[in-house]
Amino acid sequence: MADPTSGFETLLQVIVTFLRLSLFSLGGGNTLLAEYHHLAVDKYHWITNTQFADIYALAEAAPGPSSMIVGLLGLGAGWHHGPLWGLISGFSAEVAILLPSTVVMVMAALSWNKLKDAPVRVAFEKGLGPVTLGILFSVGLTVLRTADHHWLAYVVSVLVCALMLFTRISPLYFMVVAGVLGGLGIIQR
Amino acid sequence: MTQEQQLSRPPGRKALFRGMLQVALSSFGGGMSAWSQRIVVEQRRWMSNESFITGLTVARLFPGPNQINMAVYIGAQFQRLAGAIAAVSGILLVPFSLLMLIGVIYFQFHSIPAVDRVLTGVVAAAAGMALSMGFKILNVYWRDPLALLLAAVTFVALEFFHIHLITVVLSIGPVAMLLYWPRGAQRG
Repeated sequence: MADPTSGFETLLQVIVTFLRLSLFSLGGGNTLLAEYHHLAVDKYHWITNTQFADIYALAEAAPGPSSMIVGLLGLGAGWHHGPLWGLISGFSAEVAILLPSTVVMVMAALSWNKLKDAPVRVAFEKGLGPVTLGILFSVGLTVLRTADHHWLAYVVSVLVCALMLFTRISPLYFMVVAGVLGGLGIIQR
Repeated sequence: MTQEQQLSRPPGRKALFRGMLQVALSSFGGGMSAWSQRIVVEQRRWMSNESFITGLTVARLFPGPNQINMAVYIGAQFQRLAGAIAAVSGILLVPFSLLMLIGVIYFQFHSIPAVDRVLTGVVAAAAGMALSMGFKILNVYWRDPLALLLAAVTFVALEFFHIHLITVVLSIGPVAMLLYWPRGAQRG
């Protein structure tokens, strides 16, 4: 698609983009983060690299499923045409990413008893687990490259990663502490 | 089993909406599954812990955000399609409106230097959270060389050959499924 010139064209671009990706959100949807970055920043230029990193942090910190980052991406895409297009586009993006996968999940929930011992179910679960693992490592690196450009920022990220793995402290505290360090100018972009 | 008797009456659509809203608002800063379990199983006693775990397995298995899928599962258990819609609305509507508001504020004010500086720090912490996702499930596959090989191939394809995610999933996925197809009389 060429660079859209109207709010309506951007809206269509947003809807088509997220509808296509919905059924590929394995492992809880975080597997798509690197793809979101590629599309929103490099391909369609909806937002800048820095804005992507900011949006990711906001979606993680806010209450509710962190996969709602898609709504913020849509908002950013539509924002060029004004706040109203931003809100319409943000809402549409969220519906588009959720609709296909949720329809599948409704069917699965209603017919689970028939499905649970089927070989295809077992193979799907066991086989796609390792694929998800590989994707998540790639996603982690992509977000790290997007967010951090200063050695101290990398140190903070690695430290938070370790604390996430070895303690049960709420990540909200890490974000608050790091936010204060940033505000004081200690962590820089 | 006395467990059945301890469960409360099956929730209606309004109760599902309110329960899921409570889950969403409790999970400020993460830990949504834990909250979901606490509210659905322990506080409201809608389902046994066992059926909750089954639901979580199904939710993780299918594409889509785990928490949204879990809401679908819980809602559909009690009120079929209408219940699923009520539960998903409960978990999404308020947090999503809030996030859109935060987003509008962000796009309006992110160029203010003070806001940008604070976000620089928060972003570094959030990147650490993203980095931990893979490590968190690594222990599940640690003793399975085949799984590690598949994960490595996936990683290399994405990271070094820049192959598109959908292409990677559609090519490595079926191979992985064949390799893990349950054999003979074994039951999953």
